[in-house]
Amino acid sequence: RSRSKSKRVSGFDQGPLQQTMPIVTAGAVPGQLPVVTPI
Amino acid sequence: CSRIHNRPTISPTLVLVNMYQRPDMITPGVDAQGQPIDPRKMQEHFEDFYEDIFEELSKFGEIENLNVCDNLADHMIGNVYVQFREEDQAAAAHTALQGRFYSGRPIVVDFSPVTDFREATCR
Repeated sequence: RSRSKSKRVSGFDQGPLQQTMPIVTAGAVPGQLPVVTPI
Repeated sequence: CSRIHNRPTISPTLVLVNMYQRPDMITPGVDAQGQPIDPRKMQEHFEDFYEDIFEELSKFGEIENLNVCDNLADHMIGNVYVQFREEDQAAAAHTALQGRFYSGRPIVVDFSPVTDFREATCR
């Protein structure tokens, strides 16, 4: 097989494709509940 | 075989479980989109994988044997067996591969009792 082609990128350390970080709404502070005005 | 395989605590040989995935793993000769795959592409895919493994594992020591299972049956499917010259080289690779990924999938690594591939059968 020809070795003249440029080196491929190794499959090592290619992480999973799906989003690994939880999606946090902009402006939200993790672990803090939004302030709800009492009725 | 009973499939209750011996797992030594140390060995010059590592098994990377189900690491090679054939492009036609769903239906033989056909890719995931249902298109026939050229046998030369299959061979190239295998050789690229083999090269990746050889290059990465050579960092840990001299490789005596490198066997990749490209079978489609469920037993040993996609297993990679790499035999180093020394046990400590295999141990270093074992430690280094833990928690890493290959092509989006986690690497599962274990020591294997196989030291002679001519005699390697399940008993």
